[in-house]
Amino acid sequence: MSAAALEAERLRRLADVMLPAAHGMPSAGDVSAIAAYLERVLAWRDDLRAPLARAVADLDPESFTVERLAAYHGIDEEAYVALTTVVAACYYLSPVVRERIGYPGQVAKTYDAFAYTAWVAEGLLDPVMERGPIYREAP
Amino acid sequence: MTDRADALIVGAGASGGVAARRLAEGGLDVVCLEQGDWPDRSAFPGTRPDWELAIRRRWALSPNVRRLPEDYPVNHDDSDIEPLMYNAVGGSMIIYAGTWPRMLPSDLRVRTLDGVADDWPICYDDLVPYYDAIDREIGVSGLAGDPAYPPHADYPLPPLPLGIAGRRVAEGHNRLGWHWWPEPNAILSAPYDGRRPCVQRGVCTSGCAEGAKASTDMTHWPRAITAGARLITGARVNRITVGAGGLATGATWLDRDGVEHHQRADVVLLAANAVGSARLLLLSADDRHCPDGLANSSGLVGRRLMMHPFSVVTGWWDDQVEGWQGQFGASVTTYEFYETDPDRDFVRGAKWALSPVGGPLNHILPMRAGNEVWGADHHALMARTFGRGASWAIFGEDLPEESNRVELDPDRTDGDGIPVPRMHYRISEHSRRLMAFHEARAAESLEASGCGDIGTASMIPYSGWHLMGTARMGADPATSVVNDRQQAHDVANLYLLDGSVFVTSSGVNPTCTITALALRTADLLVRSRRRQEVPA
Ligand SMILES: Cc1cc2nc3c(=O)[nH]c(=O)nc-3n(C[C@H](O)[C@H](O)[C@H](O)COP(=O)(O)OP(=O)(O)OC[C@H]3O[C@@H](n4cnc5c(N)ncnc54)[C@H](O)[C@@H]3O)c2cc1C
Ligand code: SF4
Repeated sequence: MSAAALEAERLRRLADVMLPAAHGMPSAGDVSAIAAYLERVLAWRDDLRAPLARAVADLDPESFTVERLAAYHGIDEEAYVALTTVVAACYYLSPVVRERIGYPGQVAKTYDAFAYTAWVAEGLLDPVMERGPIYREAP
Repeated sequence: MTDRADALIVGAGASGGVAARRLAEGGLDVVCLEQGDWPDRSAFPGTRPDWELAIRRRWALSPNVRRLPEDYPVNHDDSDIEPLMYNAVGGSMIIYAGTWPRMLPSDLRVRTLDGVADDWPICYDDLVPYYDAIDREIGVSGLAGDPAYPPHADYPLPPLPLGIAGRRVAEGHNRLGWHWWPEPNAILSAPYDGRRPCVQRGVCTSGCAEGAKASTDMTHWPRAITAGARLITGARVNRITVGAGGLATGATWLDRDGVEHHQRADVVLLAANAVGSARLLLLSADDRHCPDGLANSSGLVGRRLMMHPFSVVTGWWDDQVEGWQGQFGASVTTYEFYETDPDRDFVRGAKWALSPVGGPLNHILPMRAGNEVWGADHHALMARTFGRGASWAIFGEDLPEESNRVELDPDRTDGDGIPVPRMHYRISEHSRRLMAFHEARAAESLEASGCGDIGTASMIPYSGWHLMGTARMGADPATSVVNDRQQAHDVANLYLLDGSVFVTSSGVNPTCTITALALRTADLLVRSRRRQEVPA
């Protein structure tokens, strides 16, 4: 295995501890989060490559737990941020995961700009109006 | 370039764009120097699935994180708040949220009413015609009749949707007997002036690809250019030049290849924002006329920096409210606790704006309220919070203090070798009391609106979006930098157009007032141009 493949493999195992299958959600590995999206994530965040490599080298997948991860925050914050950002970003790029959490992405919606006339007519603002002005007069 | 313009504007952002259009349409020959480029709307990341990654680097709000060639770093090592801005045609409006409140009458009379800080040399009524005019130029969506304000003209467009969360909070406030109102936004709710309306995508602070959120690259520059204004991009100004008589003669600037040019002008107007303009005045010091910086005989250039301490209180409901969707911008606002109440242990107050919470990454790697959780519990947390929240963004009035300031960094320079600004800024004890009170009330608001879980992110550092006060207005040249027309006391043909002129900060988002003031200054200049003193 090449060094890069080894690193990706270690990262994949760390990601499975951070995001295991539970509560009806797939694990990071179940959706091939790292394999499918790592390069795309690093394309936006080239600056994370070095600290991510540090985190992957520092954290042994054999003994890795979420408690170890929390402790790592105090040891190398930059590497911790790189690891959590990359793992989360890869996972939530998966269409399977997005579908499961009910997230269609930031989609365009149409609406009736004059719908407000209905809630005004319904009296939603009446209590506010009935109090009268609340601003302070100024000379 | 050797020609001489009637007016030279530095900075093509909010205030620069507004003034350029008025001056050019008023018949003046305008040149504007802008260090950034025209924004490319097709490159805005909001329609991409990886949008939330982009806003943590290339589309970050901080120039120190973005580090584009057109950005200049700001040293904020000694500041409780990090300054945020964007450098391009349209300026920080490219990434602003677009909420568009006016100041209130009391905001301009803080000394008279509350015995603190200073009064403005102008009053609310002086601003009203310009507020009305700028709302039309920008295309503001809102509902007139808010009892938190004196009556004023209707907005050109109806208010944006309240959304599910906005409606619940409105009902919650009705139960509490508290004020609420649909937030006015510089975002189109319907087609206007050839622009398309908002589609509720909720990505406003990484650029509105739709073009629904106003920025002067769309609302003002095309008209200014049609009227003859010349906008030079990639032009970084490093000094305002001054002639023998003490008047400004123009500015020197560097192009992208580092070649220096001089632009001559009868009148110079700075619109580089309250950090950039203070920096330029300080960079323009000269031993003969102004050893401490141009227009700085008062010693106040760079001082009295205000940025609005900012907290976020997020509430989560038991069901889905599509909390990632909707203008960002705000749906609902409240001024319930805006005005001074003698029973509190602080004076003045804060404005709140209800906004969406963002996509999955913002939930699990929160830039606002919330916790990071990993392992099986991660999924439980997401199930409990994702899409179920809304945030009260709380902007506290920031009282001016001379020790809060921008100065030149003696050690660091930008990509062109120009000293960068260095900030010293502390959130005062007074602000901390004010914010603590408001955070507690905001939690009560969300509780009354049906939220089960509530989280507070108190006075977050990554929030320096409102830059104000570094060249204050006033009648007395000993205690202010510019007069009530925003003309430098010391240099009769130098004007400041941006938030630097603010005497006090108010507790509302500033851009409506910054642009109304810029329009007023440009308008007064056009009307009185024959009387304007210019260099020989
Ligand atoms: C993330 C974010 C959200 C915001 N949300 C809101 C909101 O909801 N409501 C609101 O009212 N306000 C908001 N603001 C603030 C708003 O964007 C600013 O108040 C407004 O843009 C300031 O206008 P300006 O003209 O002073 O400066 P800017 O718009 O910042 O423009 C200054 C311009 O000057 C240029 N410049 C600076 N120095 C030089 C130089 N030396 N040479 C050449 N060019 C130079 C810059 O490149 C820039 O384009 C927000 C800001 C941010 C960053
Ligand atoms: S929510 Fe509206 S204003 Fe904001 S980015 Fe989307 S279309 Fe533009």
